Amino acid sequence: MLRLENVACFYGKGQVLHGATLSVGEGELVGLVGRNGVGKTTTLRAVMGLLPAREGSIRFRGEDLRGHPPYRVPRLGISYVPQGRRLFPKLTVMENLEIACVQAEVDPGKLEEIYTYFPRVKERLSQKAGTLSGGEQQMVAIGRALITKPAMILLDEPTEGLMPLLVQAIAETVQAINGRGTSILLVEQNLKILKDICDRIYIMEKGAIVYEGTPAEIDAAMDVQERYLSVKV
Amino acid sequence: MASNLAVAVMNGIVWGLILALIALGLNMIFGLLHIINMAHGALYMLGAVAAWYFIELTGNYWLALGTAPLVVGGVGLALERGLLRTIEDKPLVTIICTFGIMLALQQLVLMQFGGTARRIALPISFRFPLFDLQYPAMRIAIAAISAAVMAGLWVFLNKTRYGLWMRGVVQDREMAVALGIPVHKVYMWTFVLGSFLAAFSGVLAAPIVSVDFMMGREILIMAFIIVIVGGMGNLWGSVVTAVMISLIQGVGSIFVVPSTATVFSLGFMILVLLVRPQGLFGE
Repeated sequence: MLRLENVACFYGKGQVLHGATLSVGEGELVGLVGRNGVGKTTTLRAVMGLLPAREGSIRFRGEDLRGHPPYRVPRLGISYVPQGRRLFPKLTVMENLEIACVQAEVDPGKLEEIYTYFPRVKERLSQKAGTLSGGEQQMVAIGRALITKPAMILLDEPTEGLMPLLVQAIAETVQAINGRGTSILLVEQNLKILKDICDRIYIMEKGAIVYEGTPAEIDAAMDVQERYLSVKV
Repeated sequence: MASNLAVAVMNGIVWGLILALIALGLNMIFGLLHIINMAHGALYMLGAVAAWYFIELTGNYWLALGTAPLVVGGVGLALERGLLRTIEDKPLVTIICTFGIMLALQQLVLMQFGGTARRIALPISFRFPLFDLQYPAMRIAIAAISAAVMAGLWVFLNKTRYGLWMRGVVQDREMAVALGIPVHKVYMWTFVLGSFLAAFSGVLAAPIVSVDFMMGREILIMAFIIVIVGGMGNLWGSVVTAVMISLIQGVGSIFVVPSTATVFSLGFMILVLLVRPQGLFGE
């Protein structure tokens, strides 16, 4: 469904992605893990066209995303939940959901689905997004991504800075969303979450993929975990 | 005395509402495009001059009010697409560029329209008694139209999809792109809307000021003061500030000569900025 091949990205003259290659299949939940600053966020930004890839190809359902202006990418069916949620703080929760529906009206059925995942969102609809707690903001950010009925969602560290109970809840919701047929590429620092819910996991190091495997395979490959993630086992 | 005061207050409100409309456009363009539009006063002037030609042609002020701002909106469209688009996100360059646009527009008008000031007859000549003076009803009409346009703008920003996009782009441009909002189109229409508002205020002001190629210069300075005192990016702060400054100036003019009243309002600005550098309503 989504396939990146040898993608190279630069911030000015500094190269961040050095030929990243990865893919997400139809209905798959794929994890991307790695230490700080190895290029995980950049990978997602490259897919969204927010940071243009200088080399390589990024294909979504066979179409090369690099040929599209950035604002067209979400219209092809990819939603993005960025690091730090990035809600519009002065818009209400409802407006934050509405603004994502660029081409159509808000679908009431999809709205109900979001409420079943996050009943809290329903209670906060008329509140300014900037006044929500971190966890609530994350719920709205995921809701904002879901409301357009995307075929695929890119999630960047959705559990960052949340308390353990919420981390578990978000992880379960991500799994539930995927269970309904939406493909997901999930960036995380927390390997444990990925091992719990992902079909496959990529490990990234210095702007390239260095390991790919199922959670079981990663569990077995202790040396990999130690080398790339500084996990002591 | 009472009648003088009443007239000063009325004039202050009328002129304040015109200024508010100009400042709104300037503030919107700054908030969204991050452009400090030095040509804003020239667009105001262009609106008044275009209206003068329309009135010469048709004899109808209201027709001019409907059409001249559209023409200037078209000029705004050409400026945004042709010039400003190419120097996006370079604040210094855009200041110089819009300054150049201002000079070019002024000189073009000077060439065509000439350097003498012209007057536009009051389209509503009716006057009503205000204490022992007669107050022109046209000024009330001007204030009402200006207020109505601002109300319309509020509805547009808060109740329409395009308005929602504009508020989103102001807060997080990149996220807006990532949600599929055509940010460049939003920029373009914002600049057109700002130009339209400047010209609209120019036509509104035309019957109570004299129309000449330099009429935008002083207005530009006033508009900047209003935007800064009201708080950059806070549209409704601009409206309140415009009326307030205009009232200070108007009422002050009863007691001192107008130029001293201007000093008062500038002093007020300095005081505000000393206490609240972010402006009265800025965050």
